[in-house]
Amino acid sequence: MSNTQPAPVASEHVELKARKVAFDWQETPLHWVPGDPFTTHTINVLHLLLPAGERWFVHVYQQALPYITDDRLREDVIGFIGQEAVHSQAHDDVLPHLRRQGLDPTPYTAQVDWFFEKLLGDRTLPPGRARRWWLMERVALIAAIEHYTAFLGDWVLNAEELDRRGADPMMMDLLRWHGAEEVEHRAVAFELFMHLDGGYRRRARTWALAFSALVFLWQRGVRFFMENDPSLLDPKVAWADFYRKGREGVLPSTPAMLRSIPRYLSRSYHPSQEGDTAQAVAYLASSPGANGGR
Amino acid sequence: MPRFTTVALVAGAALLVRRAVRSRMTTAPLWPMPSLETPVSGYGRGATVPRRVLVTGRFVPAEGVVELRLEGERLPSWEPGAHIDVVLPSGRVRQYSLCGDPARADVYRIATRLVDEERGGRGGSREVHEQLHEGTEIEIRGPRNRFPLVDSPAYVFVAGGIGITPVLPMARAAEAAGADWRLVYCGRSRATMPYLAELLRLGGERSERGVPPAEGRGRVTVVAEDEDGLPDLSFLAQVPAETQVYCCGPDGLMDAVAAALPEGRTARLERFSAPAPADGTAFEVELRRSGRTVAVAADQSVLAAVREEVPGLMYSCAQGFCGTCRQTVLEGEVDHRDELLTDAERADSMLICVSRCAGRKLVLDL
Repeated sequence: MSNTQPAPVASEHVELKARKVAFDWQETPLHWVPGDPFTTHTINVLHLLLPAGERWFVHVYQQALPYITDDRLREDVIGFIGQEAVHSQAHDDVLPHLRRQGLDPTPYTAQVDWFFEKLLGDRTLPPGRARRWWLMERVALIAAIEHYTAFLGDWVLNAEELDRRGADPMMMDLLRWHGAEEVEHRAVAFELFMHLDGGYRRRARTWALAFSALVFLWQRGVRFFMENDPSLLDPKVAWADFYRKGREGVLPSTPAMLRSIPRYLSRSYHPSQEGDTAQAVAYLASSPGANGGR
Repeated sequence: MPRFTTVALVAGAALLVRRAVRSRMTTAPLWPMPSLETPVSGYGRGATVPRRVLVTGRFVPAEGVVELRLEGERLPSWEPGAHIDVVLPSGRVRQYSLCGDPARADVYRIATRLVDEERGGRGGSREVHEQLHEGTEIEIRGPRNRFPLVDSPAYVFVAGGIGITPVLPMARAAEAAGADWRLVYCGRSRATMPYLAELLRLGGERSERGVPPAEGRGRVTVVAEDEDGLPDLSFLAQVPAETQVYCCGPDGLMDAVAAALPEGRTARLERFSAPAPADGTAFEVELRRSGRTVAVAADQSVLAAVREEVPGLMYSCAQGFCGTCRQTVLEGEVDHRDELLTDAERADSMLICVSRCAGRKLVLDL
């Protein structure tokens, strides 16, 4: 099946570079989607997962670099590493703000730290095949996760309903800056995986793993926030809420998420088939946070 | 119908597992994942947002020391031990500990001692003393806290000179929390030691020569070099395990505290960060693994110089915030100019895009 080798749709290549950002959380309220704690906290789970998760991306990719034989991909991966490092810090900065508002995320983030640093961290493996296997497994996991970050990035760039409901502009800027960079570099993780390994069975297996882990971590993150939110009397959470909010347009819609599954598992998948680089780059040029917080 | 039985069994098992997990979740919502003992996320680098503040007051709390009152709107809250970056009119950036009241969201206070060029001053304190007057607007970043006060029933603080600035709000917080604290405050002479009167009011002066203080009084030991010579830190050898030891001051004092503590105990230290001249100096970088030595010119970054030898070297932002170019330092004293690394990370690594050498030579693991 050499004729179905995945390839980018158009020459959408942009040079990847870390941008310096500044976000000021002083005036962001606890429920930054006004009157909608469920939506707020569902999106807030990003701040729980990303600081540790993106640090882990950087850690894994630094180990993968020596195996790259294509110079352009290497430059892309380096740019990717820089961008991910800044993402991780930017979300990390939100956590003390949550703590100040009476919602201490530490019990949860300490678990996420363990998840990425210990469970998915470096294992004491003999150099050679075992070590390379574990590295490739993690590279494939990142490619699967990046499919979802690009999906979410594309979603948030177009989530106008949140603006209509008066969502905090600073938080929207963080999400859209991050989302836009995810869209901008969406092909890197997948191309790196195809370059180093590319096995379909590994791709399917790691997708299943990444997807289940994300669903598991996300739903309990929402539960954690809702139960510990000092201003909520009824912290109940149900899947139906997620579906309903998706229909309203303040969260990604469930059907769209389900449709994205077969796309990643298709043998002709390439990330450049999704999202819109021009839109992302345009947002980055106008983002207050990505332009020095002014 | 063996198929039907299988499906029914699997569904039944799934239901049972679901019920078990549910009931476990209600008793402990964060089951079943373990957590990292010292969490990393959320305690990171802290805010880097620039803010404009106005100098609305200048006081002289001791000889050679100026305290500035900085006023702004809705300044971020902070905890004792925190510092801010101050961007001086020349563009130099200096770190100063906050020494005011953490409850005030409109005022920060910082204090600096003028350090002459002959005594190793690099111009930052001179600028503060000579150019920051009432009505001057300056840019600050932070606050960040690399010297946090942890909850403890007892504290020992050791401060040297202007190193009292982060310790002052710590002592106030310890007193307010009803903790058992004592302070050894060293300086050249009483007249040069800022906030001495306030600290003595807060804790009472401890009469030395081994006389135990009365209940709640006599917490502060004043060691003025011109009257008392060097501080006697031998009491640190008997500090109980639950007592937290904090030290801020010159390197010599911090080394003395580290040496006086029993084996295996460490103090929490705040180093006066070593800020650098705005223009760099030339130095050499040895790349130990590749066995090469690179000369770094005064107007060149380590990154630029090393990349000529090692073209594939990783970097991204080139401004000291993303961390991509971090390298392990094997030898040599680093002049850290990044905004990212923690003190622990600075002990053995540097961001080569902005940081330089404080001496003549650095050895990198490259």
